[in-house]
Amino acid sequence: MRECNYQHLIDDYLLNKLSKAKKKEFEEHYFSCSECFEKVSERDDLIAVIKDRGEILFQDIAAEKKTRRDSWIEKASDFLTPKQWVTATVSVAIALVVVLTLIPVLKSPAPQFFINDDVVRGESITLISPVIDIESVPSEFSWKSSGEDMEYRIYIYNHELLWSATTLETSITLPEDVRERMVAGETYSWQVKAFSQEGALAAVSSRVQFRFTPSQ
Amino acid sequence: MPDLDEMVAKYRPIVSFKVRKSLGSHTPEWEDIVNEILMNAIEKIKKGDFRGDSNIGTFIYTITSRRIVDYIRGKSKVLKHAPEPDPFLPPEIHVENKQNAEVLAKAIEKLNPKYKEVLYLYYYKELSREEVAQELGIPPRRVSERVNYAQKLLKKTMKK
Repeated sequence: MRECNYQHLIDDYLLNKLSKAKKKEFEEHYFSCSECFEKVSERDDLIAVIKDRGEILFQDIAAEKKTRRDSWIEKASDFLTPKQWVTATVSVAIALVVVLTLIPVLKSPAPQFFINDDVVRGESITLISPVIDIESVPSEFSWKSSGEDMEYRIYIYNHELLWSATTLETSITLPEDVRERMVAGETYSWQVKAFSQEGALAAVSSRVQFRFTPSQ
Repeated sequence: MPDLDEMVAKYRPIVSFKVRKSLGSHTPEWEDIVNEILMNAIEKIKKGDFRGDSNIGTFIYTITSRRIVDYIRGKSKVLKHAPEPDPFLPPEIHVENKQNAEVLAKAIEKLNPKYKEVLYLYYYKELSREEVAQELGIPPRRVSERVNYAQKLLKKTMKK
């Protein structure tokens, strides 16, 4: 029997897998091609019986597949003892954690520290004032801009965090109550972090120490 | 002018197949609709609406699909401007085929597992040709070959 071009579409048509357009094309074809229609009709009968009686007809095949699958799972788990499986899984987990934590550390440049007026470029924020020794309790802290649309967070430390605040400016005034808490001779440090609009950390300054010693 | 009786005899099974695919064998009117379609085709040919040079199959297909759409629209009172209904029923055993179906079922049951398996995966589980190929460890075109051969074996068994 001569092979018709449309024969390979018969199954997809009957299982409703053809696109709307292809379906129409195929239908129009079997209205004209008696060989194809005969095949379509026969295949339709076969699939109808398979769908109708399949559960019973293929019981043996389905069961055989299930036992094959079950024995594979058994063989796989027998490959290692339960204790070995646990050790293997834990080792892999640890390795993953190590790799994932190392990646950001290896990628980022080493932080730069300075305790003088040297300007540090790149991803660090340059602190302008105060840096090192001053004569009275500082009222204003300022730093260099990290870019457009940044939000800055300032931290002031004694031995622990004394005060922190957020601003869109590149300077901030120390509140009165915090100023009052600061003592002459004590060493303080401050740091500024810049955040992007989306909240991601963009730049960090090193912690700069200062202390004020009132002139006698 | 084509021989009309011959035409009706030839196209009745095809039109019936398409109508039942769209409306289902359980729709009691399906036979009436098939007759309407064939009547309509005859009328048109007698009126001279059909030019002998174009394809009769396409001509009858057009009448058939239009009639199906009209029937569904009439039944469901769907707005005229809604997209064209295009229903499609999966293969179903028809009443007159019941006995045939029994014979076929028995033949399938007795099939060699090699062929039974491919029918199971391809038609019952409806895996794609590629998925079946992977499961059986054979190239995709061999899947189609096996399915076709399975059907030939079944035919042979049923003829006995």
